[in-house]
Amino acid sequence: MLRRWLAVCVMAGLPFLSFLPVVTWAVLSPLEVIRSGVNQAIAVLQDPAYQGTDRRQQRIAKVREVVLPLFDTREIAKRALGVYWRERTEEEQEQFVALFTELVEKTYSGTLDRYTANVEFYYDEERIEGNFADVATRIFDPAQQKTFSVVYKLHRVGDRWLIYDIVAENVSMVRNYRNQFNRILNKSSYEDLVQTIQNKIKELSVAPAPS
Amino acid sequence: MYVFVKLIAVVLVTAVLGLRFDASLVSAQLGAEEDTTPPPADPLAPFNEKMFWFNLKLDDYLVRPVASGYAKIFPIGARRGVDRFFDNVGVVPRFANNLLQFRLVGAARELSRFLVNTTLGGVGFFDVADSWLGLKPSPADFGQTLWKYGVPSGPYLVLPFFGPSTIRDAVGLAADGAMHPLNYMDVLSTVEWLAIRSGAQVMYAINYRSMNLELFEDVDRYAVDLYGAVQDAYFQRRERELRATE
Repeated sequence: MLRRWLAVCVMAGLPFLSFLPVVTWAVLSPLEVIRSGVNQAIAVLQDPAYQGTDRRQQRIAKVREVVLPLFDTREIAKRALGVYWRERTEEEQEQFVALFTELVEKTYSGTLDRYTANVEFYYDEERIEGNFADVATRIFDPAQQKTFSVVYKLHRVGDRWLIYDIVAENVSMVRNYRNQFNRILNKSSYEDLVQTIQNKIKELSVAPAPS
Repeated sequence: MYVFVKLIAVVLVTAVLGLRFDASLVSAQLGAEEDTTPPPADPLAPFNEKMFWFNLKLDDYLVRPVASGYAKIFPIGARRGVDRFFDNVGVVPRFANNLLQFRLVGAARELSRFLVNTTLGGVGFFDVADSWLGLKPSPADFGQTLWKYGVPSGPYLVLPFFGPSTIRDAVGLAADGAMHPLNYMDVLSTVEWLAIRSGAQVMYAINYRSMNLELFEDVDRYAVDLYGAVQDAYFQRRERELRATE
């Protein structure tokens, strides 16, 4: 198929044949996606232009800009809602993706901000099966004298690998949220879940994590 | 002991009734995580929720304040040492359960680790068995053993003081506790035995809590539904521990 397409290109004398190697080269492996994402985030956190508590907001905004494109936010929100996802209208699904993304951002921006130069990252291995991949990493925190395992779960969307779950110390973030959400949904309503999440976002905005 | 017998009775009744609450273990195939699995059944929720809040309050008013004060006095290295000491003392159930699960290499490893760390590792404060000889721990508990023999987990159960568990793991906890070396010291009176056992347990808990001050607070702040977050984290970790024995 590819060969025939190349042949057609050559015959047509089309110049974009030269794009081909560039395009294939540009597809980062799952492990490279994670490594470069973490490195970029660390670069921002260590950037002298973003130091100090008064620049906390800009720092977090910049990290967000670097990190957010690595995540498949819709897939994460869908998996977090589980069986209840299909019961929502498309509009509600869109709203939920935005709401849940904001929750996760607010939740982890504080944690992320705590990671400074001291933390060491180790990239152990990647495992790819079809359109899914696991990237196993470890984080060593000298302050706690402890190593944490973090596995990133990615899937291929088009020509990119996007994160759809993070498993920290054997606990999948998505599954953990799903259990919390399902408990609320089993007891009350979707509207109530949205309200609860909104309240949590407000709470996290008022009292950000101590850095 | 009475509690132990009662718990066994509950497990047997649960098993006989064929009530299987076992969450299916995560598939090893990538991307195959069930995203539609409903949360595990929680028939004991009314009891569990009360116990959960009891444990939270216990932590708020007693354990955390003591643990954070303790953390200010002893450096993290010393606290890790204390944790390893307690870990070393708890060899008997790990050794026995490795045997019961026919993990002979694991049993041998636990025994060697105990002998090396008790002598060369300063009664277990240092894990030289791992750092010098590369002898990794082979954790095993009676809850796992029951799982290996096909005993269903029974419903989720929040224990006072000990936290999240299942009926099966609570039985395991009691059985492992019964294997503690202190139980074989006939010279101790019941009062002495009780004082030492509970003292050691409290010491262990405070020390453990002091090493996880931030972690606990993070979970508390971030969870939308704290009970659900803790319940699921317990199940996920436990599934991993069970699978690790295979």
